[in-house]
Amino acid sequence: MKLKLAFLLASALIAAPNMVAAQEKGGVINVATIGEPPTLDPMVSTADLVGIVTQHIFETLYTFDKNWKVTPLLAESLPSISADGKTYTIKLRTGIKFHDNSDMTSEDVVASINRWLKLASRGKQVAGFVDSVGTTDPATVTIILKQPYAPLTSLLAFNNSAAIIIPSEKQADTMTDFVGSGPYMLKERKADQYIQLVRFKDYRSRTGQSDGYGGARHQYLDEIRFVPVPDPNTRVEAAVSGQYDYVDSLPVESFDKIKSSKASQPVLLKPFGYPIFVFNTAEGATKNVAVRKAIRQALSMEDMMAAAFGSQDFYALNGNIYPGNFVWSSDAGVAGNYNVADTEAAAKAAKAAGYNGEPIRILTSRQYEFHYKMAQVAAEYLKLAGFTVDMQVVDWATLTQRRTDKGLWDIYITHSPFLPEPALIGSLSTSSPGWWDTPARKAAVDAFTSEVNPDKRIALWANVQKTMYDEVPYIKIGDFNAVAAKSTKLEGVDPAPWPYFWNASVKK
Amino acid sequence: MIRYILQRLAGMILVMFLVVTIVFIIVRVTPGDPAAVMLGPDATPQDVAELRSRLGLDQSIGLQYFFYLAQLLRGDLGQSIFLNMPVASALLDRAEPTFFLTLFSLAIASVIALPIGIYAAYRRGSFIDQAATTIAMLAASIPSFWLGLILMQIFAVRLNLFPVSGYGGPGSSFFDRMYHLTLPAFALGLVSSALILRFTRASMLDVLGDDYVRTARAKGLAERHVVLRHALKNALIPILTVLGLTAAVLISGAVVTETVFGLPGVGNLVVSAVLRRDYPVIQGALLVIAAIYVFINFVIDMLYLLVDPRVRY
Repeated sequence: MKLKLAFLLASALIAAPNMVAAQEKGGVINVATIGEPPTLDPMVSTADLVGIVTQHIFETLYTFDKNWKVTPLLAESLPSISADGKTYTIKLRTGIKFHDNSDMTSEDVVASINRWLKLASRGKQVAGFVDSVGTTDPATVTIILKQPYAPLTSLLAFNNSAAIIIPSEKQADTMTDFVGSGPYMLKERKADQYIQLVRFKDYRSRTGQSDGYGGARHQYLDEIRFVPVPDPNTRVEAAVSGQYDYVDSLPVESFDKIKSSKASQPVLLKPFGYPIFVFNTAEGATKNVAVRKAIRQALSMEDMMAAAFGSQDFYALNGNIYPGNFVWSSDAGVAGNYNVADTEAAAKAAKAAGYNGEPIRILTSRQYEFHYKMAQVAAEYLKLAGFTVDMQVVDWATLTQRRTDKGLWDIYITHSPFLPEPALIGSLSTSSPGWWDTPARKAAVDAFTSEVNPDKRIALWANVQKTMYDEVPYIKIGDFNAVAAKSTKLEGVDPAPWPYFWNASVKK
Repeated sequence: MIRYILQRLAGMILVMFLVVTIVFIIVRVTPGDPAAVMLGPDATPQDVAELRSRLGLDQSIGLQYFFYLAQLLRGDLGQSIFLNMPVASALLDRAEPTFFLTLFSLAIASVIALPIGIYAAYRRGSFIDQAATTIAMLAASIPSFWLGLILMQIFAVRLNLFPVSGYGGPGSSFFDRMYHLTLPAFALGLVSSALILRFTRASMLDVLGDDYVRTARAKGLAERHVVLRHALKNALIPILTVLGLTAAVLISGAVVTETVFGLPGVGNLVVSAVLRRDYPVIQGALLVIAAIYVFINFVIDMLYLLVDPRVRY
């Protein structure tokens, strides 16, 4: 027994330094991204790339843990919410420093939230509900709402169109000084060459375990460099050669090639998100809900996903808006409305709906090749069902402009990662292109957003999903996975829709 | 002569004015919106409209054109919407990789094409001539980006001799940055060499049959002297033209090659600016590129004067 204990002790002593060594500070990593972010101000953009880079520089009051529950970050704890759901009292952590060495106070937080309400797309979504934002002491902020709005905490936690906290004197509409409180600070940005972040030595991490985006942020690395590599084939070759420590957003076809590489290994985020066909519910042929239903009836989600992603290793057929690993997953409304692929019945339904052969304009782009492939398959199914199809293949910048014009399209194709809170889904907004605005939508969405009880909200979300299936503002095509690659020497990076590196370290 | 130069300068100013106007119009009538790109996929039309207003894009095209011209007359190319810096600074930042990429590509192309072209013409019909002509034809048909991917696969991925992409990180030395240019320079240089080789061969063939070459040989001059001193000098004019135009194409940004190799050069800047509709950058870059073309053409015409004594204006 003694011998056994001695052996275990010796093993532990041998292993311990290795474990410590694996977590030692130091090292520089290069992260290949899909391009240059359009801005480094995460408040003003909803682009994922902006969030991926800037979440290392700026922090929010809250963030999400690995189970997508809201967890405090700059706030000391989750907000105290009054019984009527209108007053949020937020206690702040103390001793937090910004990268310019100033201390974070409640004045900074109030100014930042006001900037967010004014400038950020998601902030404006909240602004109509907000009565006032104020301070009671240097470490407490109070948000008073005009009516209960349950997604507020999630919105304050999201890194996209983010409610970042910045010094009160840095609140200009156009950000020129990128001063946050995050674990890494911006040292140099050479557009289209690199964004260099260095460890912020006065960073105050939360204590305890790391937990998704929440918990402790260890700052093992000295530097993180984000390098734009816009060509997907080049990103694949760079991953195989081991030039970068992490390579984001790779074509799924490259999975086996990366797996056979000695320098890198694939990172599979399963599931990552879902492609959607958004309908123009305001004008044109698809204004008629019966036509939208006929289109849905004609489509084969299975063939579209197979064309877009090839192997079932990279996609799953799922009509639920959220997959099973989210509390929001529900099959409400799905039965009989997903992956029907009955072109004959669809033809009859279209005729009964009064469809007279008007062209169905599908607006898509090859920026995301899978959008285009799905559009091609959809067009063939729609033609079989007697629809006239006008495929409009444009570049992404043109698409983002044209979709804002009600007169120019009937369906546009986009995709989204699974967002931690359904209220963040852009298409639920009446002003989002698609313009879904009906009494049923209002009743379902308002009930969902004003309910503060988490369990009741889950049931209310199922009702929103059912309403979506009833009124067809958009069609979910399926779940798809994302592929990235990481160096065999890189540790502490978990698959995430917005990969983060504050807990990453390089194996010596 | 001075009158000719003044006429050329006036013509150059007119060309530049037309370029400014045409580029401005094309950029503004092309669909797409920088505000929508910046705000991302979940921005509402109202958000986009607000940002357009802040950027001054809601004004009439005529007014925007007027302001743009006034700005150009002050020597200001404008401010990039996305890069948070003046367009002139963005272009200057990108000048180094593009300039050296051009220089190395041209050097590689010249070192390969000139001797082979001269020799192929001198040994017309020989195996070497036929082989050189065939290979040049094949090389001219290869897109440089495809050749780039092949070079990348062999020398960067399999042999790990060169980086796959990029231009060096923070604090990288000049040598390191040049090292990053090796594969793209070969990809461009090899493809460019085909055109230069064919021009060199054709131009040399034209002069090798001329009387003065026969006379030189009759005088008993060494063949090397005849070919390199007498024939080559007279064959240089079309070769210079094609070298100049190749340089102009390369310096204006080897668009696809820079994108494939992730080089932060002028070509990459233009591609990114077009994709995100960064109007000031597109306008400024195309203006500078046009100026480079016009200037290089002007320089080539002046070089004719030096190379060919028969050319007089």
